[in-house]
Amino acid sequence: MCVNNGRNMLLRMSLRLVFNLHIQFQGANISQLERDIGSDQFPPNEHYFGLVNFGNTCYSNSVLQALYFCRPFREKVLEYKARNKRTKETLLTCLADLFYSIATQKKKVGSIAPKKFIARLRKEKEEFDNYMQQDAHEFLNFLINHINEIILAERNQSRPAGGKGGAGDAGSPPEPTWVHEIFQGILTSETRCLNCETVSSKDEDFFDLQVDVDQNTSITHCLKCFSNTETLCSDNKFKCDHCSSYQEAQKRMRVKKLPMILALHLKRFKYVEQYNRHIKVSHRVVFPLELRLFNTSDDAVNPDRLYDLVAVVIHCGSGPNRGHYISIVKSHGFWLLFDDDMVDKIDAATIEDFYGLTSDIQKSSETGYILFYQSRDCS
Amino acid sequence: MAAHKTGGQSARKKVQVSMVIRDEVERKHRAGVNSLQYDPVSHRLYSAGRDSIIRIWNCKNIKEPYIQSMEHHTDWVNDIVSCCGGKNLISASSDTTVKVWNAHKGFCMSTLRTHKDYVKALAYAKDREQVASAGLDRAIFLWDVNTLTALTASNNTVTTSSLTGNKDSIYSLAMNPSGTVIVSGSTEKVLRVWDPRSCAKLMKLRGHADNIKALVLNKDGTQCLSASSDGTIKLWSLGQQWCIQTFRVHTEGVWALLATDTFSHVISGGRDRKVIMTELRATEKCTVICEENAPILKMAMTPDQTSLWVATSESTINNWTITQKDWQCGDYCEDAMGNGGGLRTMGPRNSDPAQKIIGGAAVRHCHVLNDRRHVLTRDTEENVALYDVLKAVKVVDLGRVDFEQEVKKRNKTVYVPNWFNVDLKTGMLTIHLGQDENDCFSAWVSAKETNLADNDAVDQKVNYGNLLLQALLEHWWRPLHGDDENEGNVNDGNGPTHTRGGNPYFSVPGHTPVIFSEVGGRTLYRLLVRDAAGETEGVLLNETVPPWVVDIVVDKNLPKFIKIPFYLLPHSTSGVKSLKKDRLIANDFIQVRKVAEHVYDKVLGAGSDSGSVTGAGNTVSGGSPAGDRTNADSNTDNTSLAEEKVELLCNDQVLDPSMDLRTVRHFIWKSSADLTLHYRPIK
Repeated sequence: MCVNNGRNMLLRMSLRLVFNLHIQFQGANISQLERDIGSDQFPPNEHYFGLVNFGNTCYSNSVLQALYFCRPFREKVLEYKARNKRTKETLLTCLADLFYSIATQKKKVGSIAPKKFIARLRKEKEEFDNYMQQDAHEFLNFLINHINEIILAERNQSRPAGGKGGAGDAGSPPEPTWVHEIFQGILTSETRCLNCETVSSKDEDFFDLQVDVDQNTSITHCLKCFSNTETLCSDNKFKCDHCSSYQEAQKRMRVKKLPMILALHLKRFKYVEQYNRHIKVSHRVVFPLELRLFNTSDDAVNPDRLYDLVAVVIHCGSGPNRGHYISIVKSHGFWLLFDDDMVDKIDAATIEDFYGLTSDIQKSSETGYILFYQSRDCS
Repeated sequence: MAAHKTGGQSARKKVQVSMVIRDEVERKHRAGVNSLQYDPVSHRLYSAGRDSIIRIWNCKNIKEPYIQSMEHHTDWVNDIVSCCGGKNLISASSDTTVKVWNAHKGFCMSTLRTHKDYVKALAYAKDREQVASAGLDRAIFLWDVNTLTALTASNNTVTTSSLTGNKDSIYSLAMNPSGTVIVSGSTEKVLRVWDPRSCAKLMKLRGHADNIKALVLNKDGTQCLSASSDGTIKLWSLGQQWCIQTFRVHTEGVWALLATDTFSHVISGGRDRKVIMTELRATEKCTVICEENAPILKMAMTPDQTSLWVATSESTINNWTITQKDWQCGDYCEDAMGNGGGLRTMGPRNSDPAQKIIGGAAVRHCHVLNDRRHVLTRDTEENVALYDVLKAVKVVDLGRVDFEQEVKKRNKTVYVPNWFNVDLKTGMLTIHLGQDENDCFSAWVSAKETNLADNDAVDQKVNYGNLLLQALLEHWWRPLHGDDENEGNVNDGNGPTHTRGGNPYFSVPGHTPVIFSEVGGRTLYRLLVRDAAGETEGVLLNETVPPWVVDIVVDKNLPKFIKIPFYLLPHSTSGVKSLKKDRLIANDFIQVRKVAEHVYDKVLGAGSDSGSVTGAGNTVSGGSPAGDRTNADSNTDNTSLAEEKVELLCNDQVLDPSMDLRTVRHFIWKSSADLTLHYRPIK
């Protein structure tokens, strides 16, 4: 449970106390969640377990829950667990153990303490080695990159040292890992010199797209702005190789390869010079349950992918260093809300509550922060 | 209406010093040619080069057409117009200035600094002797040519009208001869039209899908032709404010237009390298006059309308014949247009130009060698050359050799800090010196090792930036102290009394242009090295030269030495007991043998001084900052002795005694952490 949460969170805390008491009185028989879902409706082989907060670790809990319900990711992590019997402890083995322990619980619902994972995380990265609130997106970014590096390192170890000339050599990009296969897309930036009109394009990989948010708009609008043409001019001219000089140019970024799971980061924390700190932007941005990308490049590999919303990490509160993270996920057709160790079934209609605020008066808000869209062709 | 001082200087930004390494007379264009003007009276062709030079050609003597160069711009010349019946020329440049030239004699009369970004286009109203300039700063200024040509040093205020409303960078401009209509084209994709007499906005014309690169107005200002990057040419009626016709004769962006006086035909060129003549009145009839080797930037018709001079992004200017048949475009088009898009397959009328003004090669690639003094270049004709930046000269033409191999061959294992940047925008080497005293004076070297001083002379440390600045401003006449100026000494045979300019080692060629500009932007002043002694030049230099340059060129203060901190430890195999970790500081050019000497003298206690090293902040002697320009190395005898007794290692690699500390740090230590050296007595 986080501190500094403001009134909203105090309310939530008192609710939780009641809820916990409730559980204890009910004993181990049947939980409210199971009752809400209905025992005959409860999906087989599925477990809904909250994650205990170790002091401001909700940034991690919310992201881990979202990732657990990204099915391709969960399956790969469990597969990794099955293949790797007791190797050296890494953040990935800790994550695999955590996912495995959720997936193999006898009970259908409950809570679990991700103690080992948090301990390992604090060892791996200095920034997370404290009891401060962290940015969930930074954590997601770190986690995905770090897991990917672990897989690459283990792959290199298992291969004989003399095996050069294969993948991994300079020039040819290394064979993609399953993290690449799930999250990686390709952006292409096209720059056209306004003098010689030569177009130069450069591809770059991404694990998530970071979009700006405008008031009363939608994700489609955010993605459109992301791919808007930007003119490089005045002090920011483009060094054109063809012209051997600085010239004006038009630049735009478009998606060339659409990932299996598209993670969209809404840039809700804006640095405001006036206040000398980051301010939360609570603008209302509608995120649809189904999404198609329109900002794809002409040579895109799979521009027609249709995405379904599967998980949302939500930031509650008024600023980046205060507040709380929760997540909502879609599982077997219904939506669940994970708030640390607490799990609730929610109505799909309540997702609207997390779009944001239409007015700027209110300081605190509960807003979608990271959206996970899963391509329909992989489920 | 706003008043502008022609020589005016805006609020001071950081000033950068640059120079161009080139031949004294550059008879050929080095890079593309952005604009052309044909003077029907003298049959001279004026060409505006990307090499910053405007050249005058005699079209009646095509074997030796070169007459003269007009040099004063410091970046691409983007457009020129001939005015006052050929007496004057106005030019617009990426150096953000507009210049007024005496076209007959070829000198620059005045410079207009009103624009804040590249000036891309000019327009001329012949009947009113009015010129308009426009560019990437979105502004259009109107100039009265008769006022411009009457400007003098003391009477240098011009009034100009500005046309406002443009929302984007302007790439094209046109005015009709009577000066009743002006039209601009920009990345906003609309044509904006004004009445230049009242500066009133007349209209906006929408229709193009991309930047508008060229415009022509007819005589009475009722019709306009526009060429766009969207690949089309549009004919507009200004009276009715609509597009009469769209011509799709090119396959790529259209960049240049030329219309007959009567608006009967338009000749166009652009990115697809074709020059195409289209009849405007009849149905779409057109003929391909020629196909060039590079995109077409500008065309100029000879007065008899029998040929066309064509400028491209390459340096050669070609003359193409236009026959009587061409004017009746029909012949070639009817069947070609009939089977849709047949234009692409339509062959050009001419396969070879009638005349050529041969251009030169532009330097396109360069590599600064490790010694931070020599630069290898490769030009558009694949020729490789070696330049000496310090002396501002080309050392040798190497011909068509392998560039990368030559770089490898000539790079030595030596590290000298960067003190200049190379810019190839003009196809010649423009050298920008470091922007302040820290960057510009970072390279200290031994005068002996760089062959500046004789081998038997005492070794002095010299600073590259310092030497070059002194050489560039060698002739700058400046009294040491304003009040001390002694009139009586003026005629003592040595010329006026002034500080002895230059440096003790070398001079740079007198024709070398020196440029003072705002960092990354507007040019403030350009002069030749040999002209700095002039009175006017002196006044302008006094205004322009930044204080840190004055400090070393006039006041002869030495730049600061660059210090390098390092740790000195006994090597694990040396048997010497590890004392505490000592942090030392030395000049970055100190050689390893100096450190060996320090170890021998102070640490191992073999020298006269006993005592061990005492704490941090030690200075290794030799070329210490206390000295002035005579930084002679002392105790040479001891050095050779120390070398035989002690060896130094970095990352377990034994160091060559003649290697300097910064080279050790760069090539062997390879880390941003403080350098650590180990010593080991030699048994």
